[in-house]
Amino acid sequence: MFRAALALLTLTTAASAQLQWADPLQEFQRLPEDKFVQTRFAFRNSGSAPVTIKKISTSCGCTTAKLDKKTYAPGESGEIEAKFTFSGRTGPQRKIITVVSDDPAQARTVLDLRVWVNRPLAIKPGLVFWRVGDAGEAKSVQLTAEGQKVGIKSVRSSNPRIKASVETVRPGEAYALVVQPTDTAQKESAELIVHTDYPPDAPRSYTVHARIK
Amino acid sequence: VIARAFRECGILLALALIPAATSGAIQLKWQSSPEALLPGEVRLGTAQMWGDAVQWVDTRAAAKFERGQIPGAVRLSAEQWDELIPSFLEVWDPEKTIVVYGEGGVDDDAHAVAGQLKRELQLDNVWVLKGGWVAWQQK
Repeated sequence: MFRAALALLTLTTAASAQLQWADPLQEFQRLPEDKFVQTRFAFRNSGSAPVTIKKISTSCGCTTAKLDKKTYAPGESGEIEAKFTFSGRTGPQRKIITVVSDDPAQARTVLDLRVWVNRPLAIKPGLVFWRVGDAGEAKSVQLTAEGQKVGIKSVRSSNPRIKASVETVRPGEAYALVVQPTDTAQKESAELIVHTDYPPDAPRSYTVHARIK
Repeated sequence: VIARAFRECGILLALALIPAATSGAIQLKWQSSPEALLPGEVRLGTAQMWGDAVQWVDTRAAAKFERGQIPGAVRLSAEQWDELIPSFLEVWDPEKTIVVYGEGGVDDDAHAVAGQLKRELQLDNVWVLKGGWVAWQQK
């Protein structure tokens, strides 16, 4: 009796999910120009009974997940096709796809799609500000090329009371955007448009924000 | 024989208690804090205690924002970041705490916007409302 109970307990503990996922966490590095990442999450029904996928949901309207059919026989493989559209998103992005099935051992599986959308030019910080009445000293914004040479062609301020100029630290690699208000007597705002030479066929511009609050 | 049966029963009971105790502990913990805060999240009650020192940021679609929003909220989304960031900066006050909210539930756009405010604009007093707009409506 004891041995039989122990064996039953061991079997229960060892029960595992029927759906086995090949790569439930996937990571990508992309440029904004790539616009989207499309990938497949492959799985196999390694159990002895059919499994039906009842629902797939994504954590963001920017991500879609498609499945060819719902029920998979023992030994049968399938895949979920996922597409994450950047739509202006930059930096680290994490999108979760939740799969709900009738697998008794694991009804809910979380698929993890991580994408780092790198801008060719890193801007730190994207906002400089002064409080009304501050000394109004110049502030510096670091412009750093990431992965390839990016030259700065020019910078233009939308407000003549907040001036901006570019200093070259290392050509094609690092620049300093120096921003200074003529005074801080009143609230002001300016958008500083940085024009680059990359990519050569359609050079990008970047915006740095300046405010006196 | 009786002593042996009692001993085996005792061992079986002890073995059964291990998963039972683990499961019970997990369930009790889950019931006492059903909505655990993720890093960077704040509960509605806490945000309301901050009162006027909060700048609300709504990440939902424009149509939903137009139908209703937390008073004083400004709209900002990851999808329309470049387009909407100037209007956010118009109302932004460096002295205020920023609380970002989305629809609630499985919604990561609020976290994406909060992350972008911290990373790109280097604002440090930024939180995400636990439960989002749904939590506000249920208050």
